[in-house]
Amino acid sequence: MVPNPLALIAEVTHRCPLHCVYCSNPVQLAGTQSELSTDEWRSIFQQAGKLGMLHAHFTGGEPLARTDLTELIAAARASGLYTNLITSGIGLSEPRLKTLVDAGLDHIQVSFQDSREDSANWIAGAKAHAHKIELSRAIRQHKIAFTVNLVVHRQNLDHLEEMIAFIEQMNPERVEIAHTQYYGWALMNRAALMPTRAQLEKAVEIVAGAERRLAGRIRIDSVVPDYYAKYPKACMGGWGRRLMLINPAGRVLPCHAAEIIPGLEFENVRERTLEWIWRESPSFRRFRGEDWMPDPCRSCDRRSEDFGGCRCQALLLTGDPAATDPTCSLAPKHHVIEAAVLEANSDAAAAKPATASSFVQLQQQTAALWNYRTNPD
Amino acid sequence: MAPPQDSSQPRLAAGCRWGGTEEDRVILFPEGAIKLQGTGREVLERCDGQRTFGEIIANLQKEFSAADPAKIRDDISTFLEQLQKRRIVDY
Repeated sequence: MVPNPLALIAEVTHRCPLHCVYCSNPVQLAGTQSELSTDEWRSIFQQAGKLGMLHAHFTGGEPLARTDLTELIAAARASGLYTNLITSGIGLSEPRLKTLVDAGLDHIQVSFQDSREDSANWIAGAKAHAHKIELSRAIRQHKIAFTVNLVVHRQNLDHLEEMIAFIEQMNPERVEIAHTQYYGWALMNRAALMPTRAQLEKAVEIVAGAERRLAGRIRIDSVVPDYYAKYPKACMGGWGRRLMLINPAGRVLPCHAAEIIPGLEFENVRERTLEWIWRESPSFRRFRGEDWMPDPCRSCDRRSEDFGGCRCQALLLTGDPAATDPTCSLAPKHHVIEAAVLEANSDAAAAKPATASSFVQLQQQTAALWNYRTNPD
Repeated sequence: MAPPQDSSQPRLAAGCRWGGTEEDRVILFPEGAIKLQGTGREVLERCDGQRTFGEIIANLQKEFSAADPAKIRDDISTFLEQLQKRRIVDY
Protein backbone atom coordinates (compact mmCIF):
# COMPACT_ATOMS: atom_id res chain seq x y z
CA MET A 1 0.00 0.00 0.00
CA VAL A 2 1.36 3.39 -1.01
CA PRO A 3 1.24 5.95 1.84
CA ASN A 4 -0.86 9.07 1.17
CA PRO A 5 0.78 12.14 -0.36
CA LEU A 6 1.52 14.96 2.09
CA ALA A 7 1.26 18.07 -0.02
CA LEU A 8 -0.07 19.50 -3.24
CA ILE A 9 1.92 21.94 -5.34
CA ALA A 10 -0.61 24.00 -7.25
CA GLU A 11 1.03 25.67 -10.25
CA VAL A 12 -2.02 27.79 -10.96
CA THR A 13 -0.58 29.69 -13.94
CA HIS A 14 2.67 30.05 -15.84
CA ARG A 15 2.03 33.75 -16.49
CA CYS A 16 4.51 35.93 -14.58
CA PRO A 17 5.44 39.62 -14.52
CA LEU A 18 9.01 38.69 -13.62
CA HIS A 19 11.51 37.06 -15.97
CA CYS A 20 14.00 35.59 -13.51
CA VAL A 21 16.96 33.98 -15.21
CA TYR A 22 16.94 31.04 -12.77
CA CYS A 23 13.22 30.21 -13.06
CA SER A 24 12.46 26.57 -12.31
CA ASN A 25 9.51 26.43 -14.70
CA PRO A 26 9.95 24.32 -17.81
CA VAL A 27 11.24 26.17 -20.86
CA GLN A 28 8.08 24.89 -22.58
CA LEU A 29 5.43 26.80 -20.59
CA ALA A 30 1.74 25.91 -20.36
CA GLY A 31 -0.43 28.31 -22.37
CA THR A 32 -3.06 30.58 -20.83
CA GLN A 33 -5.89 29.00 -22.84
CA SER A 34 -5.34 25.60 -21.27
CA GLU A 35 -5.47 26.80 -17.63
CA LEU A 36 -7.78 24.97 -15.22
CA SER A 37 -10.97 26.75 -14.16
CA THR A 38 -11.90 27.80 -10.62
CA ASP A 39 -14.25 24.83 -10.29
CA GLU A 40 -11.64 22.39 -11.53
CA TRP A 41 -9.21 23.63 -8.88
CA ARG A 42 -11.96 23.44 -6.25
CA SER A 43 -12.44 19.77 -7.05
CA ILE A 44 -8.68 19.17 -6.86
CA PHE A 45 -8.46 20.67 -3.36
CA GLN A 46 -11.40 18.58 -2.18
CA GLN A 47 -9.78 15.45 -3.52
CA ALA A 48 -6.45 16.44 -1.94
CA GLY A 49 -8.07 16.91 1.48
CA LYS A 50 -9.78 13.52 1.24
CA LEU A 51 -6.50 11.91 0.23
CA GLY A 52 -5.04 13.14 3.52
CA MET A 53 -2.83 15.89 2.12
CA LEU A 54 -2.02 18.65 4.61
CA HIS A 55 -0.52 21.53 2.61
CA ALA A 56 -1.38 23.36 -0.60
CA HIS A 57 1.50 25.39 -2.02
CA PHE A 58 0.28 27.99 -4.51
CA THR A 59 2.92 28.75 -7.05
CA GLY A 60 3.33 29.51 -10.74
CA GLY A 61 4.35 31.59 -12.65
CA GLU A 62 2.85 34.24 -10.44
CA PRO A 63 -0.29 32.95 -8.68
CA LEU A 64 -1.55 36.54 -8.29
CA ALA A 65 -1.99 36.66 -12.06
CA ARG A 66 -5.14 34.58 -11.45
CA THR A 67 -8.04 36.90 -10.66
CA ASP A 68 -9.77 34.05 -8.78
CA LEU A 69 -6.89 33.45 -6.35
CA THR A 70 -9.00 34.43 -3.33
CA GLU A 71 -11.56 31.77 -4.22
CA LEU A 72 -8.82 29.20 -4.76
CA ILE A 73 -7.27 29.91 -1.35
CA ALA A 74 -10.68 29.72 0.31
CA ALA A 75 -11.43 26.42 -1.44
CA ALA A 76 -8.13 24.89 -0.32
CA ARG A 77 -8.65 26.05 3.23
CA ALA A 78 -12.23 24.72 3.27
CA SER A 79 -10.81 21.34 2.24
CA GLY A 80 -8.65 21.31 5.36
CA LEU A 81 -5.38 22.30 3.70
CA TYR A 82 -2.73 24.65 5.06
CA THR A 83 -2.32 27.36 2.44
CA ASN A 84 1.01 28.74 1.32
CA LEU A 85 1.39 31.46 -1.31
CA ILE A 86 4.74 31.57 -3.09
CA THR A 87 4.87 34.93 -4.80
CA SER A 88 6.89 37.77 -6.24
CA GLY A 89 4.34 40.11 -4.67
CA ILE A 90 3.69 41.82 -7.99
CA GLY A 91 -0.06 42.28 -8.23
CA LEU A 92 -0.55 42.31 -4.47
CA SER A 93 -1.95 45.53 -3.01
CA GLU A 94 -2.73 45.95 0.68
CA PRO A 95 -6.50 45.47 0.17
CA ARG A 96 -5.92 42.33 -1.90
CA LEU A 97 -3.57 40.95 0.75
CA LYS A 98 -6.27 41.48 3.37
CA THR A 99 -8.80 39.66 1.18
CA LEU A 100 -6.44 36.69 0.85
CA VAL A 101 -5.79 36.57 4.59
CA ASP A 102 -9.53 36.74 5.28
CA ALA A 103 -10.03 33.86 2.82
CA GLY A 104 -7.68 31.72 4.96
CA LEU A 105 -4.13 32.31 3.77
CA ASP A 106 -1.75 30.80 6.36
CA HIS A 107 1.69 31.59 4.99
CA ILE A 108 3.24 33.87 2.41
CA GLN A 109 6.64 33.40 0.89
CA VAL A 110 8.18 36.33 -0.99
CA SER A 111 11.33 35.96 -3.05
CA PHE A 112 14.02 38.62 -3.23
CA GLN A 113 16.58 38.62 -6.02
CA ASP A 114 19.15 40.75 -4.19
CA SER A 115 19.49 43.40 -1.48
CA ARG A 116 20.63 45.96 -4.06
CA GLU A 117 17.81 47.36 -6.11
CA ASP A 118 19.57 47.65 -9.47
CA SER A 119 20.95 44.17 -9.28
CA ALA A 120 17.66 42.66 -8.07
CA ASN A 121 15.73 44.20 -10.94
CA TRP A 122 18.40 43.09 -13.38
CA ILE A 123 18.15 39.45 -12.27
CA ALA A 124 14.33 39.54 -12.32
CA GLY A 125 14.20 41.35 -15.65
CA ALA A 126 11.60 43.64 -14.09
CA LYS A 127 11.38 46.60 -11.70
CA ALA A 128 9.94 44.70 -8.78
CA HIS A 129 12.29 45.27 -5.85
CA ALA A 130 10.83 48.45 -4.33
CA HIS A 131 7.32 47.03 -4.35
CA LYS A 132 8.49 43.88 -2.57
CA ILE A 133 9.95 45.94 0.28
CA GLU A 134 6.74 47.91 0.64
CA LEU A 135 4.69 44.73 0.56
CA SER A 136 6.81 43.07 3.24
CA ARG A 137 5.84 45.86 5.64
CA ALA A 138 2.17 45.28 4.87
CA ILE A 139 2.52 41.53 5.42
CA ARG A 140 3.75 42.07 8.98
CA GLN A 141 0.45 43.77 9.81
CA HIS A 142 -1.25 40.38 9.54
CA LYS A 143 -1.07 37.26 11.68
CA ILE A 144 0.25 34.95 9.01
CA ALA A 145 3.61 33.24 8.68
CA PHE A 146 6.12 35.14 6.54
CA THR A 147 9.11 33.59 4.80
CA VAL A 148 11.61 35.40 2.64
CA ASN A 149 13.21 33.40 -0.08
CA LEU A 150 16.66 34.49 -1.21
CA VAL A 151 17.74 32.86 -4.42
CA VAL A 152 21.52 32.90 -4.52
CA HIS A 153 24.04 32.30 -7.30
CA ARG A 154 27.26 33.55 -8.84
CA GLN A 155 25.94 37.07 -9.45
CA ASN A 156 24.83 37.88 -5.89
CA LEU A 157 26.59 35.47 -3.48
CA ASP A 158 29.44 37.90 -2.88
CA HIS A 159 27.15 40.11 -0.83
CA LEU A 160 25.18 37.44 1.02
CA GLU A 161 25.93 39.07 4.36
CA GLU A 162 24.37 42.29 3.15
CA MET A 163 21.36 40.36 1.83
CA ILE A 164 20.75 38.68 5.19
CA ALA A 165 21.00 42.02 7.01
CA PHE A 166 18.53 43.47 4.50
CA ILE A 167 16.06 40.63 5.12
CA GLU A 168 16.39 40.94 8.90
CA GLN A 169 14.75 44.36 8.81
CA MET A 170 11.65 42.77 7.32
CA ASN A 171 11.30 40.58 10.35
CA PRO A 172 10.11 37.31 8.76
CA GLU A 173 9.91 34.12 10.84
CA ARG A 174 11.92 32.29 8.20
CA VAL A 175 14.52 32.84 5.52
CA GLU A 176 15.16 30.29 2.88
CA ILE A 177 18.55 30.63 1.24
CA ALA A 178 18.00 28.75 -1.95
CA HIS A 179 20.90 28.01 -4.21
CA THR A 180 19.87 27.95 -7.83
CA GLN A 181 19.09 24.49 -9.15
CA TYR A 182 19.79 23.83 -12.77
CA TYR A 183 16.63 22.89 -14.59
CA GLY A 184 14.67 24.74 -17.25
CA TRP A 185 15.78 28.35 -17.55
CA ALA A 186 18.50 28.02 -14.93
CA LEU A 187 20.22 25.20 -16.80
CA MET A 188 20.21 27.32 -19.93
CA ASN A 189 21.89 30.09 -17.90
CA ARG A 190 24.13 27.86 -15.79
CA ALA A 191 27.46 29.39 -16.83
CA ALA A 192 26.29 32.78 -15.56
CA LEU A 193 24.74 31.42 -12.36
CA MET A 194 26.95 28.70 -10.97
CA PRO A 195 29.03 29.92 -8.02
CA THR A 196 32.72 29.28 -7.55
CA ARG A 197 33.90 27.02 -4.75
CA ALA A 198 35.38 30.03 -2.96
CA GLN A 199 32.04 31.86 -3.11
CA LEU A 200 30.26 28.83 -1.75
CA GLU A 201 32.67 28.23 1.13
CA LYS A 202 32.37 31.83 2.23
CA ALA A 203 28.58 31.61 1.99
CA VAL A 204 28.48 28.52 4.21
CA GLU A 205 30.42 30.43 6.88
CA ILE A 206 28.15 33.46 6.64
CA VAL A 207 25.03 31.32 6.94
CA ALA A 208 26.40 29.50 10.01
CA GLY A 209 27.15 32.85 11.66
CA ALA A 210 23.69 34.21 10.85
CA GLU A 211 22.04 31.05 12.19
CA ARG A 212 23.74 31.53 15.53
CA ARG A 213 22.99 35.23 15.67
CA LEU A 214 19.33 34.92 14.68
CA ALA A 215 18.41 31.73 16.59
CA GLY A 216 14.92 32.00 18.06
CA ARG A 217 14.13 35.05 15.92
CA ILE A 218 14.54 34.02 12.31
CA ARG A 219 14.92 30.43 11.27
CA ILE A 220 17.30 29.96 8.35
CA ASP A 221 16.94 27.08 5.93
CA SER A 222 19.82 26.57 3.59
CA VAL A 223 21.16 23.65 1.61
CA VAL A 224 24.52 23.18 -0.09
CA PRO A 225 23.96 23.22 -3.87
CA ASP A 226 24.09 19.68 -5.21
CA TYR A 227 26.87 20.25 -7.77
CA TYR A 228 29.20 20.82 -4.82
CA ALA A 229 27.77 18.12 -2.56
CA LYS A 230 29.09 14.60 -2.11
CA TYR A 231 25.70 12.94 -2.39
CA PRO A 232 22.59 13.93 -4.33
CA LYS A 233 19.57 15.64 -2.84
CA ALA A 234 16.49 13.57 -1.96
CA CYS A 235 14.60 15.23 -4.80
CA MET A 236 10.95 15.90 -3.77
CA GLY A 237 11.52 13.49 -0.86
CA GLY A 238 11.46 10.65 -3.39
CA TRP A 239 9.51 10.20 -6.65
CA GLY A 240 5.79 9.75 -5.94
CA ARG A 241 6.47 9.53 -2.25
CA ARG A 242 5.24 12.77 -0.68
CA LEU A 243 4.19 15.34 -3.26
CA MET A 244 1.92 15.86 -6.23
CA LEU A 245 2.28 18.83 -8.56
CA ILE A 246 -0.56 20.02 -10.77
CA ASN A 247 0.54 22.21 -13.66
CA PRO A 248 -1.65 25.06 -14.99
CA ALA A 249 -3.14 22.78 -17.64
CA GLY A 250 -4.07 20.05 -15.15
CA ARG A 251 -1.25 17.62 -15.77
CA VAL A 252 -0.21 15.82 -12.61
CA LEU A 253 3.52 15.49 -12.06
CA PRO A 254 5.80 14.10 -9.35
CA CYS A 255 8.00 17.24 -9.59
CA HIS A 256 8.38 20.59 -11.34
CA ALA A 257 10.39 19.35 -14.28
CA ALA A 258 9.16 15.79 -14.87
CA GLU A 259 7.38 16.65 -18.12
CA ILE A 260 10.73 16.67 -19.91
CA ILE A 261 11.24 12.95 -19.31
CA PRO A 262 10.59 11.15 -22.59
CA GLY A 263 8.45 8.02 -22.63
CA LEU A 264 6.35 9.02 -19.60
CA GLU A 265 2.75 10.01 -20.07
CA PHE A 266 1.34 12.23 -17.37
CA GLU A 267 -2.33 12.03 -16.51
CA ASN A 268 -4.64 15.04 -16.39
CA VAL A 269 -7.00 15.84 -13.52
CA ARG A 270 -9.63 16.49 -16.18
CA GLU A 271 -9.65 12.76 -16.91
CA ARG A 272 -8.56 10.94 -13.76
CA THR A 273 -8.92 11.31 -10.00
CA LEU A 274 -5.95 12.36 -7.89
CA GLU A 275 -6.23 9.15 -5.94
CA TRP A 276 -6.02 6.97 -9.04
CA ILE A 277 -3.10 8.99 -10.37
CA TRP A 278 -1.27 8.71 -7.05
CA ARG A 279 -1.81 4.98 -6.58
CA GLU A 280 -2.12 3.53 -10.05
CA SER A 281 -0.69 5.76 -12.76
CA PRO A 282 2.39 4.38 -14.56
CA SER A 283 4.09 7.80 -14.34
CA PHE A 284 3.93 7.95 -10.52
CA ARG A 285 4.98 4.31 -10.24
CA ARG A 286 7.86 4.56 -12.69
CA PHE A 287 10.56 5.66 -10.19
CA ARG A 288 8.76 4.95 -6.93
CA GLY A 289 10.52 2.68 -4.45
CA GLU A 290 13.77 0.88 -5.31
CA ASP A 291 12.98 -1.60 -8.07
CA TRP A 292 13.97 0.80 -10.86
CA MET A 293 17.37 1.61 -9.36
CA PRO A 294 20.59 0.95 -11.24
CA ASP A 295 23.96 0.29 -9.65
CA PRO A 296 25.48 1.76 -7.54
CA CYS A 297 22.14 2.90 -6.00
CA ARG A 298 20.50 -0.49 -5.61
CA SER A 299 23.14 -1.73 -3.19
CA CYS A 300 23.89 1.65 -1.57
CA ASP A 301 23.17 2.28 2.11
CA ARG A 302 21.92 5.74 1.26
CA ARG A 303 19.21 4.60 -1.17
CA SER A 304 16.44 5.11 1.39
CA GLU A 305 17.77 8.60 2.20
CA ASP A 306 18.31 10.16 -1.21
CA PHE A 307 16.26 7.77 -3.41
CA GLY A 308 18.91 7.90 -6.12
CA GLY A 309 18.68 11.69 -6.41
CA CYS A 310 16.86 13.57 -9.13
CA ARG A 311 15.45 11.86 -12.24
CA CYS A 312 15.25 15.05 -14.26
CA GLN A 313 18.84 15.94 -13.52
CA ALA A 314 19.89 12.43 -14.52
CA LEU A 315 18.09 12.90 -17.85
CA LEU A 316 19.37 16.41 -18.49
CA LEU A 317 23.00 15.63 -17.75
CA THR A 318 23.40 11.96 -18.77
CA GLY A 319 20.54 11.46 -21.25
CA ASP A 320 19.10 8.63 -19.11
CA PRO A 321 16.35 9.38 -16.55
CA ALA A 322 17.02 6.03 -14.82
CA ALA A 323 20.70 6.72 -14.21
CA THR A 324 22.14 7.55 -10.80
CA ASP A 325 21.97 11.33 -10.33
CA PRO A 326 25.38 12.48 -11.63
CA THR A 327 25.82 14.87 -8.69
CA CYS A 328 26.51 11.76 -6.59
CA SER A 329 30.24 11.23 -6.17
CA LEU A 330 29.62 7.50 -6.69
CA ALA A 331 27.72 7.94 -9.97
CA PRO A 332 29.28 6.43 -13.13
CA LYS A 333 28.70 9.77 -14.92
CA HIS A 334 29.89 12.03 -12.10
CA HIS A 335 32.52 13.39 -14.50
CA VAL A 336 29.89 15.66 -16.12
CA ILE A 337 29.49 17.43 -12.79
CA GLU A 338 33.23 17.58 -12.23
CA ALA A 339 33.60 19.21 -15.65
CA ALA A 340 30.93 21.83 -14.84
CA VAL A 341 32.57 22.57 -11.48
CA LEU A 342 35.97 22.85 -13.10
CA GLU A 343 34.62 25.26 -15.69
CA ALA A 344 32.89 27.42 -13.07
CA ASN A 345 36.15 27.67 -11.17
CA SER A 346 38.49 28.31 -14.09
CA ASP A 347 39.90 31.75 -14.72
CA ALA A 348 38.47 31.60 -18.21
CA ALA A 349 34.90 31.10 -16.91
CA ALA A 350 32.36 32.77 -19.16
CA ALA A 351 30.76 34.85 -16.45
CA LYS A 352 32.42 36.85 -13.76
CA PRO A 353 30.29 38.00 -10.85
CA ALA A 354 28.64 41.27 -11.82
CA THR A 355 30.84 44.30 -11.37
CA ALA A 356 28.59 47.00 -12.76
CA SER A 357 26.49 48.94 -10.33
CA SER A 358 23.72 50.67 -12.23
CA PHE A 359 20.69 49.03 -13.79
CA VAL A 360 21.58 50.46 -17.21
CA GLN A 361 25.16 49.18 -17.06
CA LEU A 362 23.97 45.80 -15.89
CA GLN A 363 21.49 45.52 -18.73
CA GLN A 364 24.23 46.26 -21.23
CA GLN A 365 26.19 43.28 -19.91
CA THR A 366 23.17 41.06 -20.15
CA ALA A 367 22.67 40.11 -23.77
CA ALA A 368 25.57 37.71 -23.92
CA LEU A 369 25.28 36.59 -20.31
CA TRP A 370 21.87 34.98 -20.05
CA ASN A 371 18.35 34.48 -21.36
CA TYR A 372 15.40 35.89 -19.48
CA ARG A 373 12.37 33.69 -18.84
CA THR A 374 9.63 34.50 -21.32
CA ASN A 375 5.85 34.25 -20.90
CA PRO A 376 3.46 31.59 -22.21
CA ASP A 377 1.16 32.32 -25.18
CA MET B 1 17.42 32.59 22.96
CA ALA B 2 16.31 31.70 26.47
CA PRO B 3 13.94 29.01 27.77
CA PRO B 4 10.45 30.15 28.86
CA GLN B 5 10.09 32.00 32.18
CA ASP B 6 7.35 31.24 34.68
CA SER B 7 5.58 34.41 33.56
CA SER B 8 5.89 33.64 29.80
CA GLN B 9 2.64 33.08 27.96
CA PRO B 10 3.40 30.49 25.29
CA ARG B 11 1.26 30.43 22.15
CA LEU B 12 1.40 29.15 18.59
CA ALA B 13 3.43 31.49 16.35
CA ALA B 14 1.82 33.39 13.46
CA GLY B 15 0.80 31.03 10.67
CA CYS B 16 0.93 27.89 12.85
CA ARG B 17 -2.32 26.20 13.74
CA TRP B 18 -4.08 22.98 14.66
CA GLY B 19 -5.26 20.67 11.88
CA GLY B 20 -5.97 17.05 11.12
CA THR B 21 -8.76 15.05 12.73
CA GLU B 22 -9.73 14.63 16.40
CA GLU B 23 -7.89 11.28 16.61
CA ASP B 24 -4.99 12.51 14.51
CA ARG B 25 -4.30 16.04 15.69
CA VAL B 26 -1.42 17.84 14.03
CA ILE B 27 0.18 21.25 14.27
CA LEU B 28 0.46 22.71 10.78
CA PHE B 29 3.26 25.14 10.02
CA PRO B 30 4.99 26.42 6.87
CA GLU B 31 7.41 23.55 6.22
CA GLY B 32 5.32 20.68 7.51
CA ALA B 33 3.27 19.22 10.29
CA ILE B 34 3.91 17.54 13.64
CA LYS B 35 1.63 14.79 14.80
CA LEU B 36 0.92 15.31 18.47
CA GLN B 37 -0.08 12.61 20.88
CA GLY B 38 0.04 12.19 24.63
CA THR B 39 1.95 14.77 26.62
CA GLY B 40 3.02 16.89 23.65
CA ARG B 41 -0.61 17.43 22.76
CA GLU B 42 -1.52 18.12 26.42
CA VAL B 43 1.16 20.79 26.58
CA LEU B 44 0.39 22.57 23.33
CA GLU B 45 -3.35 22.58 23.94
CA ARG B 46 -2.60 24.67 27.02
CA CYS B 47 -0.39 27.12 25.09
CA ASP B 48 -3.19 29.57 24.36
CA GLY B 49 -1.33 32.83 25.01
CA GLN B 50 -3.38 33.29 28.21
CA ARG B 51 -2.00 30.72 30.63
CA THR B 52 1.52 31.31 31.90
CA PHE B 53 4.30 28.77 31.64
CA GLY B 54 4.22 28.49 35.46
CA GLU B 55 0.49 27.69 35.43
CA ILE B 56 0.87 25.13 32.64
CA ILE B 57 3.67 23.36 34.53
CA ALA B 58 1.76 23.32 37.84
CA ASN B 59 -1.32 22.00 36.08
CA LEU B 60 0.56 19.19 34.32
CA GLN B 61 2.51 18.29 37.46
CA LYS B 62 -0.83 17.74 39.16
CA GLU B 63 -2.22 15.77 36.22
CA PHE B 64 0.84 13.50 35.99
CA SER B 65 1.51 13.29 39.71
CA ALA B 66 3.25 9.91 39.39
CA ALA B 67 6.14 11.52 37.48
CA ASP B 68 9.00 13.53 38.95
CA PRO B 69 7.85 17.22 38.96
CA ALA B 70 11.34 18.53 38.21
CA LYS B 71 11.59 16.27 35.21
CA ILE B 72 8.20 17.42 33.93
CA ARG B 73 9.35 21.03 34.13
CA ASP B 74 12.64 20.31 32.33
CA ASP B 75 11.03 18.26 29.60
CA ILE B 76 8.35 20.82 28.85
CA SER B 77 10.80 23.69 28.93
CA THR B 78 13.06 21.92 26.42
CA PHE B 79 10.10 20.98 24.24
CA LEU B 80 8.87 24.58 24.04
CA GLU B 81 12.35 25.97 23.49
CA GLN B 82 12.86 23.64 20.53
CA LEU B 83 9.55 24.65 19.00
CA GLN B 84 10.41 28.29 19.56
CA LYS B 85 13.64 27.84 17.59
CA ARG B 86 11.63 26.39 14.75
CA ARG B 87 9.32 29.42 14.95
CA ILE B 88 6.29 27.27 15.76
CA VAL B 89 5.79 28.61 19.30
CA ASP B 90 6.29 32.11 20.70
CA TYR B 91 6.59 33.06 24.36
